[in-house]
Amino acid sequence: MTSLEPGTGLLREVEAFIYREARLADQSRYAEWEALVADDMHYWVPNGRADYDPAARLSYINDNRARLATRIRQLETGLRHAQTPPSPMCRFVTNIEVLSVDSAAVEVVAVANQLVYELNAQSTGQIRTWPGRVTYRLRRVGDEWRMAGKTVELLISGDALPNLAFLV
Amino acid sequence: MEPIYDTLVTEYRVHGSVYVDERVYANEMDRIFTRGWVFVGHESEVASAGDWVTRRLGNEPVIMVRTRAGDVQVLANRCSHRGTTLCWQSSGHTSSFQCTYHAWTFGLDGQLKGVPYPGGFDQDKSLLGLDRPGQVDRYRGFVFANMSGNGGTLASHLGDGGVELLDRLCDLSPTGNIVLGGGWIGHRVQSNWKMWPESDNDGYHLNWVHASMVRSAPDTYYEQTVLGGEDGNKSLAVDLGNGHFELDFRPSYQTELAWLGVTRAKVELYCEALEQARGVEQANRLLLDGPPHAMIFPNLFLGELSMAIIEPVGPGETVHRHTSVLFDGVDEAFNRRLMRQSEAAMGPAGFIVPDDAVVAERMQAAFAAGRGWIDLSRGANRERIDASGRRVSHVSDETTNRAFWRQYRHVMSTS
Repeated sequence: MTSLEPGTGLLREVEAFIYREARLADQSRYAEWEALVADDMHYWVPNGRADYDPAARLSYINDNRARLATRIRQLETGLRHAQTPPSPMCRFVTNIEVLSVDSAAVEVVAVANQLVYELNAQSTGQIRTWPGRVTYRLRRVGDEWRMAGKTVELLISGDALPNLAFLV
Repeated sequence: MEPIYDTLVTEYRVHGSVYVDERVYANEMDRIFTRGWVFVGHESEVASAGDWVTRRLGNEPVIMVRTRAGDVQVLANRCSHRGTTLCWQSSGHTSSFQCTYHAWTFGLDGQLKGVPYPGGFDQDKSLLGLDRPGQVDRYRGFVFANMSGNGGTLASHLGDGGVELLDRLCDLSPTGNIVLGGGWIGHRVQSNWKMWPESDNDGYHLNWVHASMVRSAPDTYYEQTVLGGEDGNKSLAVDLGNGHFELDFRPSYQTELAWLGVTRAKVELYCEALEQARGVEQANRLLLDGPPHAMIFPNLFLGELSMAIIEPVGPGETVHRHTSVLFDGVDEAFNRRLMRQSEAAMGPAGFIVPDDAVVAERMQAAFAAGRGWIDLSRGANRERIDASGRRVSHVSDETTNRAFWRQYRHVMSTS
């Protein structure tokens, strides 16, 4: 375990967490993905840029921990038609940077660019691409990391999006 | 050959070609979205002089703007010189509209104000204002337009049924005014637009299409209103005439605020404000009845405290664009609760509408060849005319769908 000092060791840990999170999301392994999430998780896909108070306006996704749990319960029913079958996905996460380190809170803010290829296997059969910028708030809990925030600013947000019923 | 709508749309059957045929779509853009009344927006979206939003009336891009005189106008979003789009964002604030191409400038009322290099300009400016719909009118802040100018009055389009729907919604606000201030969320679906008036007011599909929502988020008001067996459910499918229709949940609501999924203790300030404004007796009635779940022909879905505009893009593509209905004169926490409910239900990532979207896309795929029929006869055996003259039936019956298609056939075959 490395210290929460900015440096290669910390960046490696953050990258490893982000790649794992991406792999579990890609494969719709909902329970394992949810295990990465902290109790105060905020999962946010804003309408346009993430430059507003999510309480004050509508967003595509604005989940606190309880609503995120509902989202995952719904996916796990196996009856969520918008994800039946789950979309096969392949996401590429690059340009990872640790922007800030809060040693007192044992937290880091990291950013990345993300490109998700999603096969809309439920109806149209199209490959959909979802480029965007991701901001993670990650917290060290003992020997592990937990995700306390994930904000996905989609490039095509602000106009109209097709179904976004998977974990983005 | 021109489509024959009296043949393609009968009382209980609709032909698959009307979902996919380019000629049908072109006729709809003309007969429904150009000749008839269409919902544009709400005046609260342009609260101050110079506020504007962009919309589409069928294929026609328009600007809804608040003028200096304080009225709301609807203008073509197209420079009268060479046709450039004037406003290319979804909303903004300005003192005038200036074209990017040659800097022609238009007032908020659409009048041409300025033309650079006037030496070569020899025309009457008053004849080169922005195009505008033939008729614009509003009711309780809801702005409707009619491109042709031959759509009759808005009052005759809404009829008593449409007026009562908007009244019932707005009366829930303590000041009687609703506010659309949460922003619009667009949902792009690879289906024909008509699958949305159909699906948004179909009381038959919930136990199957939305089973995952019911199981993962139990105790929502849907349980009282549309689930349960065919015998236990008292809600009604209602034809309000002129293509407007409703799933009337009022007969099912047993407790006040069931439509909000809360008890009075959670929204006490709102209840007090409503009582103060309307008196205890009427407030109690409103808190029991709740907002309508209804469609105003052809493009306005009133989904209780969410609202959606149905925007046709092409025969096989639609944007279902929603926002929250917020109330004027209530505490901020109350309106934020309404926004969180819209986020849960609607849009590309909501717990409800994405499942409807998949069904609509699967229908669209099945009609690719323009063959086959849909059957809309459900409930014809028990439909009745109620005491107030409305055609009503069990909530699971296709009375609402027949109401849509009856108006559709009327407009498409007689225009």
